[in-house]
Amino acid sequence: MSTSFPREAAGLSPDSATHGQTPPPVSALRTFGRLMRAEWTKLRTVRGWMAALLGGVAAMIALGLMTGAQGSCTPQRCAQPTGPDGQEVTDAFSFAHQPLTGDGSITVRVAEMDGLIPADPGTEAEDAGQGPQRADGPPSGMPGLAPWAKTGLMIKDGTRPGAAYAAIMTTGSHGVRMQHNFTHDRAGTSGNAPRWLRLTRTGELIVGEESADGHAWTKVGEVRLNGLPATVQAGMFATSPQYSRVDDGLIGTAASGGPSQVTGAFDHLELEGDWPAAAWTGTKIGGPIDRDVSGFGLTGPVFRVTGSGDVAPATAGLAGIGVTITQTLVGTFVALIAVVVLGAVVMTAEFRRGLVRTTLAAAPRRGRVLAAKAVVLGGVTFLVGLVAAVLVVEIGGRVMVSRGVYVHPVTTGIRTQVVVGTAALLAFSAVLAMALGTVLRRSLTAVTTGIVLIVLPYLLSLTALSGEAADWVLRVTPAAAFALQQSRPAYPQVDNLYTAALGYFPLPPWGGFSVLVAWTTAALVVAAVALRRRDA
Amino acid sequence: MNITVDSLRKRFGRTVALDGMSFAVEPGQVTGFVGPNGAGKSTTMRVILGLDRADSGSALVSGRPYRSLDRPLCQVGSLLDAGALQPGRTARNHLLWLAHSQGLPGSRVDAVLEQAGLTAVARRRAGGFSLGMRQRLGIAAAMLGDPPAVMLDEPFNGMDPEGIIWMRGFLRSLAAEGRAVLLSSHLMSELEGVADHVVVAGRGRTIADASIGRLLADTTRGRVVVRTADPAAKPALTEAGATVTEDSSGTLTVTGLPAEAVVTALNRSGIAFSEVAARRTSLEEAYLELTRDAVEFRAEEAR
Amino acid sequence: MLHAEWTKFRTTPGMIWLLLIAIAATVTVSVLAISTADCPQRDCGVSATLTGVRVGQAVIAIVAVLVIGDEYRTGMIRTTLVAMPRRTGMLAAKVAVVSAVLTVASATAVLGSFVAGLHLLPGRDLPALSLTEGEVIRAFGGSILYLTMIGLLGVGVTVVLRSPAAAIGSVLGLLYVFPIVAAAVPDQDWERRLQQIGPMDAGLAIQRTGDLTDLPVQPWHGLGVVALWAVAALLTAAVLLHRRDA
Repeated sequence: MSTSFPREAAGLSPDSATHGQTPPPVSALRTFGRLMRAEWTKLRTVRGWMAALLGGVAAMIALGLMTGAQGSCTPQRCAQPTGPDGQEVTDAFSFAHQPLTGDGSITVRVAEMDGLIPADPGTEAEDAGQGPQRADGPPSGMPGLAPWAKTGLMIKDGTRPGAAYAAIMTTGSHGVRMQHNFTHDRAGTSGNAPRWLRLTRTGELIVGEESADGHAWTKVGEVRLNGLPATVQAGMFATSPQYSRVDDGLIGTAASGGPSQVTGAFDHLELEGDWPAAAWTGTKIGGPIDRDVSGFGLTGPVFRVTGSGDVAPATAGLAGIGVTITQTLVGTFVALIAVVVLGAVVMTAEFRRGLVRTTLAAAPRRGRVLAAKAVVLGGVTFLVGLVAAVLVVEIGGRVMVSRGVYVHPVTTGIRTQVVVGTAALLAFSAVLAMALGTVLRRSLTAVTTGIVLIVLPYLLSLTALSGEAADWVLRVTPAAAFALQQSRPAYPQVDNLYTAALGYFPLPPWGGFSVLVAWTTAALVVAAVALRRRDA
Repeated sequence: MNITVDSLRKRFGRTVALDGMSFAVEPGQVTGFVGPNGAGKSTTMRVILGLDRADSGSALVSGRPYRSLDRPLCQVGSLLDAGALQPGRTARNHLLWLAHSQGLPGSRVDAVLEQAGLTAVARRRAGGFSLGMRQRLGIAAAMLGDPPAVMLDEPFNGMDPEGIIWMRGFLRSLAAEGRAVLLSSHLMSELEGVADHVVVAGRGRTIADASIGRLLADTTRGRVVVRTADPAAKPALTEAGATVTEDSSGTLTVTGLPAEAVVTALNRSGIAFSEVAARRTSLEEAYLELTRDAVEFRAEEAR
Repeated sequence: MLHAEWTKFRTTPGMIWLLLIAIAATVTVSVLAISTADCPQRDCGVSATLTGVRVGQAVIAIVAVLVIGDEYRTGMIRTTLVAMPRRTGMLAAKVAVVSAVLTVASATAVLGSFVAGLHLLPGRDLPALSLTEGEVIRAFGGSILYLTMIGLLGVGVTVVLRSPAAAIGSVLGLLYVFPIVAAAVPDQDWERRLQQIGPMDAGLAIQRTGDLTDLPVQPWHGLGVVALWAVAALLTAAVLLHRRDA
């Protein structure tokens, strides 16, 4: 057997191969590139690792595509009107209106609000709502007001659902509010009916005022409706949203609900300006065609308007209809478990049989080894996660639609945030687990710590904890980064079940991501110190 | 000089592992690094490779600390623990990531696999290898960067006789190519016929650092065995300045006089003898003598 | 064989600590749940007091995985099988020791939670516990059985997978995948179906008191589902242990 090792084959430059001579200085970047290549070779050549990663991701895709949801939506049936800012809105209410040309004002006293809310269903199960069929039939139940039942005055650019508007109103339990264009909400006093309200229009400017007695008026707000035409529809409106009764139980949050309705009794009506029609028209605006509880009493002195629905941003879940793209990503945490195991094991495998000594003999600068491992692991996880997230969101969304589930459209920006964010969540979690593996060195300890730290908090906040406790868990643990998957904002003026299970998180997307990044960075720093300090 | 170790000291808690270890490994020869278990051989090698940090002293490879080397495997190849593998990875892939870490091409991997005689099993999982095959894989890894220095920790462990013969020839050829080879063992006999130079370690320091020839000469105090029936032999030899011990069969063991002087002294007194033989010390004996203190110390400590 | 397994168990470093952690985690989380709970329903007292089981089970699973996973990790499984060549017997001995130890640990954890509930619930305006009610006894006793069976599931999965890291990932995944998916699927039928087959959701039905009519799975049936999971895992383990080379 030949025992010579031909030097030429080594691909070494002549001077560096010379015994005992210092090799020429090579840029740190090139060294790092070599380390990354080595780590990539390591990662891809253990079959079990690749299987774990791809298996986890496959499960995530499968859970996203094989959704059990079934609805009765067709695009025509469930499509939501588009508001002036281009977002999807809910615009369903009863409107007693007449045209107003030019400047003018309308003053009224809301004498009384009364309504119906669904009877306490007792054991009725939670209904996350994926179609309008839930809202079929007239609300039956007991007297009461939904917290966001609204009666008041509105000036609107016509009666088309989604048209620009400004309104001042009394509510079930949120006092006097001035709202416009669906997403904007300003609080007045906490007073309730009977209450005097006034809207004054001057060009595009609309001022809302309230008064307890009809004499001393307080300005609630002043808004500009861009492009408001000379003739608008103005009058009294009433609407009452989906009512949800939420039991913040210990084990999860139970919710029940159904449609509600409100009747506003208005008196002391006064008009100023040019009101050419001189008579009121009652129109039910928006809302399901097959359900109509609207009612109008259009002859004074006491006018009555009964309505059901909401004038607000569209929401998914209990208070609205359909689902968001976030819900196609339920399988993310399976992939998360897989990448946490992978991240931890990739590092602990080095310690298990002393492979780390070979690694460090080949690359003695330990910080760089750790960095190369982190970059390769994070990069691979990110790319694989990105592919999975794109597939799930794009195809999963289509599957839902084909099954009659209404999926709320989102902007490209939000879609990108959700998809890239999911990939980033997986990548950083893998690196966090790898850093834990470096510190703890035993696979079992590292995997467990990783799962308890990253996956368990998400699970607890989804299933076992509720309210504040769940929010805190999702603020301080690495699971906060799930906020990246939130695709729709939570609106305070819409009562909804804003829980992680429905895709709402306590931190803003990038805030939640920062929490994970902070954890990962801290763990990497500890890992680097440990790796440098300890003998291999 | 390819590897120099100077006054290394290291403690693990209360245990002193290295206590001023110093030696140098010269190119073109095989240096044996020998000592009883716990003498600090492995620790020294780990310090040379930057795996352990010494409390004081220095270990340099090609004049630089290992951790500052750019492509360390092209400066010194090493085999510390043949079991240090990811069992699920194939032999070739194990070498491939190592090659990539040094910026070496895949063709280099195939070359060393060929040289180590592993081409046939290159695509098998390393976890299924026998200890001897793992040793060969470790050797292949050590040779990957075609380094001017090679360092092997107990490379004969677990090898079959054929493998041991291959290893000896291989190590000799490395030295013949001008490389510096450091080879540790706890059995001096393994080094006979391989090592040109021996560093004997004990209790964390260097006990002896010499060529094989010097080592033998130093420890060979003339020991001559005399077989005779004449009781006058003992006083005659003592008079001539020797130390004489007698065993039950009447055989005398003489130290302090070379064999020729013993014969002269016996002849001068007219003593008849049946045999005078000079006994040469074996490398093993020389080693045992050198390390006796170290071993005794350990045994005492263990008590 | 039993004795050998018990000796191995108690001499494995960290085992006692892990058991203490399991107990401490269970009681601590229960105390936290009791002190933040805000619900008036009749069954709230019991469910608050037993919230810790959801966290404690993770540590119990780790103990179980460690009992046999460590042997695979270190290669000691070969020593074990040389010493005890009847593999099914070895597994049975392990199961017996793990069951016994985990039952004691789980009982301590659950009773600790019970004592905490007894003292803290009245001050929190939550329904107090009463040991004279059969269903309260069922909830607490069932929780002990539940934790033990989760441990046995862990032993089975570990023997099947032969790697502690993969095993702990799989066991925790198995426990938590069902509730998360169930919480997130918008369809009620699917949610119910998942809650009927998932070991955690089904098993914890044993803790439900009060109105049972609308549960996806009845308490004892739910515990049966967990038992099926554990038995299935152990049977697979026994078959594989028999068939495979060590």
